[in-house]
Amino acid sequence: MSTTSLLVIAILILATLGYFLASKRAISTAGGDRRKLHSLPVYYGSNAAMFTAIPALGVLLIWLLAQPMLVEQNVLSTIPDKLITEGSSIGLVMSDVRRVADGLEVVVSTGTLSQNETLKLDTEQTDIRALLAGVGAVVGSDVLPEVLEAAQNYRAQTKTGQLWMVLIIAPLALIGFALSVLAAKPTFRARNTVERGILALLVFAASLAILTTIGIVFSMLFESINFFKLHSWTDFFFGGSWAPNFRGDSDLSILPLLWGTIYISITALIVAVPVGLFAAIYLSEYAGPRVRAFAKPLLEILAGIPTIVYGLFALLTVGPALVRVFGRGEEGLLGVEWMSGATAVLTAGLVMGIMLIPFVSSLSDDIINAVPQSLRDGSLGLGATPSETIRQVVLPAALPGIVGAVLLAASRAIGETMIVVLGAGAIAKFSANPLEAMTTITTRIVSQLTGDTDFASPETLVAFALGLTLFVLTLGLNVIALYIVRKYREQYD
Amino acid sequence: MTDAIQKPEKKKSSLLQLDARTRTRNAAEKRFKAYGMIAIAFGLLMLSILVFNIVTRGAGAYQQTFVALEVELLAGKLDKKGNRDLDDIKKISTFGYTPLLSNALEAKIIELGIETDLKAKKMVGILSKSAAAQVRDYVLNNPNKIGETIGFEFLASSRVDGYLKGRVSRDSIGNDKNISPAQLDLVDALKAEGCLAKRFNMSFITGSDASDARPEAAGMGTSMIGSFFMMLVVLVLALPIGVAASIYLEEFAPKNWITDIIEVNISNLAAVPSIVFGILGLAVFINYMHLPNSAPLVGGLVLTLMTLPTIIISTRASLKAVPPSIRDAALGVGASKMQSVFHHVLPLAAPGILTGTIIGLAQALGETAPLLLIGMVGFIASNPPDSIATGLLSPNSAMPAQIYEWAKRADPAFYERAWGGIIILLVFLVTINTIAVILRRRFERRW
Amino acid sequence: MNDKNIMESHMGTTAIKISARDVKVYYGDNHAIKDVSIDIEDKTVTAFIGPSGCGKSTFLRCLNRMNDTIDICKVTGSIRIDDEDIYDRRVDPVQLRAKVGMVFQKPNPFPKSIYDNVAYGPRIHGLAQNKADLDDIVERALRRGAIWNEVKDRLQSPGTGLSGGQQQRLCIARAVATEPEVLLMDEPCSALDPIATAQVEELIDELRQSFSVVIVTHSMQQAARVSQKTAFFHLGNMVEYGETGQIFTTPQDPRTESYITGRIG
Repeated sequence: MSTTSLLVIAILILATLGYFLASKRAISTAGGDRRKLHSLPVYYGSNAAMFTAIPALGVLLIWLLAQPMLVEQNVLSTIPDKLITEGSSIGLVMSDVRRVADGLEVVVSTGTLSQNETLKLDTEQTDIRALLAGVGAVVGSDVLPEVLEAAQNYRAQTKTGQLWMVLIIAPLALIGFALSVLAAKPTFRARNTVERGILALLVFAASLAILTTIGIVFSMLFESINFFKLHSWTDFFFGGSWAPNFRGDSDLSILPLLWGTIYISITALIVAVPVGLFAAIYLSEYAGPRVRAFAKPLLEILAGIPTIVYGLFALLTVGPALVRVFGRGEEGLLGVEWMSGATAVLTAGLVMGIMLIPFVSSLSDDIINAVPQSLRDGSLGLGATPSETIRQVVLPAALPGIVGAVLLAASRAIGETMIVVLGAGAIAKFSANPLEAMTTITTRIVSQLTGDTDFASPETLVAFALGLTLFVLTLGLNVIALYIVRKYREQYD
Repeated sequence: MTDAIQKPEKKKSSLLQLDARTRTRNAAEKRFKAYGMIAIAFGLLMLSILVFNIVTRGAGAYQQTFVALEVELLAGKLDKKGNRDLDDIKKISTFGYTPLLSNALEAKIIELGIETDLKAKKMVGILSKSAAAQVRDYVLNNPNKIGETIGFEFLASSRVDGYLKGRVSRDSIGNDKNISPAQLDLVDALKAEGCLAKRFNMSFITGSDASDARPEAAGMGTSMIGSFFMMLVVLVLALPIGVAASIYLEEFAPKNWITDIIEVNISNLAAVPSIVFGILGLAVFINYMHLPNSAPLVGGLVLTLMTLPTIIISTRASLKAVPPSIRDAALGVGASKMQSVFHHVLPLAAPGILTGTIIGLAQALGETAPLLLIGMVGFIASNPPDSIATGLLSPNSAMPAQIYEWAKRADPAFYERAWGGIIILLVFLVTINTIAVILRRRFERRW
Repeated sequence: MNDKNIMESHMGTTAIKISARDVKVYYGDNHAIKDVSIDIEDKTVTAFIGPSGCGKSTFLRCLNRMNDTIDICKVTGSIRIDDEDIYDRRVDPVQLRAKVGMVFQKPNPFPKSIYDNVAYGPRIHGLAQNKADLDDIVERALRRGAIWNEVKDRLQSPGTGLSGGQQQRLCIARAVATEPEVLLMDEPCSALDPIATAQVEELIDELRQSFSVVIVTHSMQQAARVSQKTAFFHLGNMVEYGETGQIFTTPQDPRTESYITGRIG
């Protein structure tokens, strides 16, 4: 068992011990009379457990996150430059080093060699690669002496780090334990302390949302910066072609992808907005309760279906059906040869539109229902027909909200992945023909980041720049849409 | 004042007669209403086409063609030394077993009096490539049976299976190397004799994925376990964190700009494309923290981050629905704010929180895009995990990722598996959502 | 003033605008109106009074079939306007409502300009030949709504920007613009302050010259001030109907008396 898990278990045992000791002590210092205590005994116990475990575990977590980074930094500075210039990258060398180091640890733990023996290993005398393969650790190529040295260095530093970790964290837990058990006296306001601790946990949970956003932005920003160091940003934003080439010198421009994304999204919205809007109007203004109770949940099923299902539907049902209509020459329904493959803008757009119908309709439904009944009464009372009332009073009043809903739907369409991965195709081009295959930002992110990836080549890193652009694009749409919808709701609240 | 406004001459019209204008207006009204009905009908039509497609195309995956054969486990082939030593027997690879299969088939054909001019090697082509492995596994488990004749049920190859299901026809196999009309004749004859038949295929539900050449052996079981472990991670992390965050925001947070930022942030996170969470997972969990690729733990972590906003939003709604009088009542008897929340508000909001969490889980269960980026596709998830730790850490697939994997393999036999997999996925989703609906109905409170 | 009312109502007896017989209204299982029969005269202000929930508003909404918009509402009996049954199958509620305008409890101007608010009715009913004609109709309606002088300089600003009293007069102008023959008012002053109420009441008195006005009010003083005839509703029944002066001074029914003297309601 690793040092870390032993440490965690020790801390938890200590915390449990603290819980019982402190609540016992609280009662006994109060002379066995619980009424003399400021708080319930449970709180004294919880207080002790909290002070023993939380600071120690918190430091441990930070330590675990920070140590590999620091060790890596140190080891990295010792790696000679010549290793890196030989057609590889720092990242690759480092991952080799890590793999060798981890492998050697496994060698020790399985008992193949002792700790001292591994330290004396030499590339000249032992086939390290075979040794590691013997315990199931696979290294891509023969282990160079420099790599082995770095790996030994890595192991040594990790060891030292772990030693310090135990030396710091164990006393921390013990101090917390001692202080909190000693503090368990009737006058001590245990409940208030515990509650403050719980509040801190709650705040931490709430700030995770912010951390996620920061994580998203930074993870993509750093790699995007790396990408722009390798590839000109003018070509990325303003170039005209997308042709990744894993031998280097690729054209990596976002514009053709953006065009495909927007074209498919607009096709989807052309399907989803009228259908969704009219469905919402019918359900909220015309349908009787029975139709509503039946049609509304059924339509909402469309929203609960996973996108992979829609992707398959596009690839295997809608695409071939469209080919039967628009393709196959003489054999086709129209006798034309306009569409050759099942993947096309129309295929993906149509299916995405179907997926978005319930999204648009339920948002519009909310918004139409927020229009006060008095406005409808006013219009009907003047002798307007229901449709005149809807078109001339309800919809204009609901317009901002509906615009917000459409923007939210657009943001969904732009960020949708599975339908376009399976239904849109992989060809990046500027074309206005909806029966041709085109590709989108999301499909390219998937294709650049799956399979063999090399995080030092622009062809892989471009995915992060694409991701960042996608994030900014959808975030912008969402912020505007949520702002409009919120303003609209306030108007009738 | 009224003198200035004289009433214009107005024709006296009867209410009982529709004037022309009203008639056109009513026609417009009818048209408008019809648009609405068409919209609903379109949506429902698409839903029914989708469901019809899934059911008709996926049902095939639950039936598979099997061939019943008696295989003589020739001692001369399997155990040349005759000492029944397991290590020696292990040295015989699956290739060594293929002759046994062709012998068995030939024997069957002669026994049934079927005429065919197929060579023995070609005959074996109607069996799945996993048939030899099946015999080998049996022999390795029962070495004492060597020399006996044992009855086996083998999977037929995917082409034969497709032929029985109508997916493959004699016209469509023109250029197919894997099957010939003569083999189909043999299949027809064996089918007529009853030793080749379709039956329910449990191993599609419980089995593992299989390589490209053996679609007939592929199953959803292992990826189901992968999904299960991911959902476990999501539940264990997202529920407590989500509830804690909601309690803070709803009950304790001061109304200031920091809280505002957190709130705006959460509603925006809920609308961030799922693939962006995949990029986050790849960059942070795999590239930075060096968690293992393709591990359900990583998938679970990514899906947790993705589901958190959904859970927070629904939890806050349920907390908000608890009337303030409950809090006042608790505070009034001297409970602390924290006690009033944990003893009174939270239990009352629990059904709503649970429903929201379940719906969030359902969403996470069907999510595919982020899983592609953390490597949960592109390999064959063939070994079911044997412990919780390997379940969390060893590479696995997940149900939607497995479906995507099959969809990519561009073989109609795998397409059938993909649709069949969708049925399983949807059964899970329907069950989960039904539980949510029942919970909501059961515990719904009106204040 | 009473003398004048009596005189006019005598004139009015010759012109019955609305005649309701045995009207029953059900909301699902709830029997909201029980056998109401009433004759409402032309060029008269008729007030419906009674405690909350007595069915006066429900009955008012039957007169232009606004209850049609509520699914569970069912109306039986006959209501005839100018001797035509408005619940006849051949009657289009749209045409009926053009003839029987309505003003609601809460001012409900559309979120459009003042001009468009008033022009809305004439536009949908096709009352104007051209733009100038429409301008004319809008001006006339706003003058009759006694709000022209306040808004003539800002016809294009939104109707929702006016004060509560102005909004309600705008809504009256909007109703008047379609040239109805009957004007129904459902507690038109309940959301207004006393000054705005006084303005609207004055306006109602003027409108009487062109329309038959039916007003629902929970304020007895208001009924006494603006109406010539009054009907008292109680628990879904129309208890008493007669000259306003007579209802308030010598009510025939003990329930009316109790209400007027403040013992019920």
